[in-house]
Amino acid sequence: MSTLQLWGQYLPQFLAGLVVSLQLTGAALVLALALGTLLVLARTGRIRILAAIATGYVEVFRAVPVLVLLFTAYYSLAQLGLRLPGFWAGVVALGAFYGTLYGEDMRSGLQSVDPGQREAAVALGLSNGAVMRRVVLPQAFLAFLPPGTNELSNLIKDTSLVLTIGVTDLMFQANAAAAATFQPMDMFLLAGLVYFAFYILLSRILARWELNVQRRRS
Amino acid sequence: MHVVALYWQAIVDGGGVDLELTAIAVAVSVVVGILAAVGRIYGGKLLGGAITVYVEIIRGLPPILQLFIIYFGLSQFQINLSSFSAGLLWLVLYGVGYAVEIFRAGIEAVSVGQREAADALGLTRVQALRRIILPQAWMVMLPSLMTFLVLQVKNTTLLYLVGIADIMYQARLGTSATEQPAIMYGMAAIAYLIINLTLSRIGSTLERRQALYR
Repeated sequence: MSTLQLWGQYLPQFLAGLVVSLQLTGAALVLALALGTLLVLARTGRIRILAAIATGYVEVFRAVPVLVLLFTAYYSLAQLGLRLPGFWAGVVALGAFYGTLYGEDMRSGLQSVDPGQREAAVALGLSNGAVMRRVVLPQAFLAFLPPGTNELSNLIKDTSLVLTIGVTDLMFQANAAAAATFQPMDMFLLAGLVYFAFYILLSRILARWELNVQRRRS
Repeated sequence: MHVVALYWQAIVDGGGVDLELTAIAVAVSVVVGILAAVGRIYGGKLLGGAITVYVEIIRGLPPILQLFIIYFGLSQFQINLSSFSAGLLWLVLYGVGYAVEIFRAGIEAVSVGQREAADALGLTRVQALRRIILPQAWMVMLPSLMTFLVLQVKNTTLLYLVGIADIMYQARLGTSATEQPAIMYGMAAIAYLIINLTLSRIGSTLERRQALYR
């Protein structure tokens, strides 16, 4: 069969795979943002032991490859009695790793806010909560956006790792189609086009969003 | 616990394979990366544009997909690479895509005045790059180069998929023999942790020493 015919035949399956990849990305992103927030709170808080645990967590989980985390979540936890379905093992592994990255991005975002801003807000008589909510966080968010969106496009690509534990994402579909058709290059190229189109689309949208946020603020 | 004693050597051997591949790939991609960064900055529209597209493709596609295109995809055209050469080729192609951006950022971070001064002194472009710009860019690039090195070590985990006997390969082999994934992947995690923490420690020492020189 010609390449185009094959592509037409397999495209629906690939798009179904893309949906799984996106669900995985969304769930992992939520977990990573929550974990990142906790890590920042722990590291900037007053309780020493929590700060030490959070720092240790970041050091360790940043140094271990995501694939090792994935196999740990899928196989090792099962041996220890916690049997996660492939999808959720993927969410846990990706969330555990990207949480450290998002935590660091949030921390440097907070640090980028000029201390004078906080002092001025306090001098104006704003309460602690209001200083955070109205002065510090909006500025920190602006600094957080560029690295944060960059991390997101890496997260999408890393969801392709779940192929190794049999989750039927886009990469899994491509691999299955490659084996079925004996035309691996055609199938992987189609997968590449789908990933790439999505990557371009997403980076355009995120760039526009960043620009809008910046404009509204200034 | 005898499982650990039994398989530790295999994991260490796998680590050797990982480090060897990383070292070769990083060395090659640094050299090519410098050339490509210079090409991207000074090479005019055509060459610069081509390099930009290359970088976008490498950054836009998932690593597994790139590796599979090289190893499985090319076999459709009767180009059958061995596991080792396919793995190494991918690490190099991927590494070049990242190194270009690191060097471009580093070179562009050196102030224009430095380049103009070198021009005014009658240095050729190559001389200016080698003696004025790159030494200053080095300092800016050091942190991202260390991140890049760690990234490449992590990327080697994918190579078991094409049958290279790295740490992951050994850990999977051990798992299917012993049915003790917690221990085997725990050992793999520790091995990567040791390698990557050592690399980042070396990186921060280098940075501190470079900072002292200035």
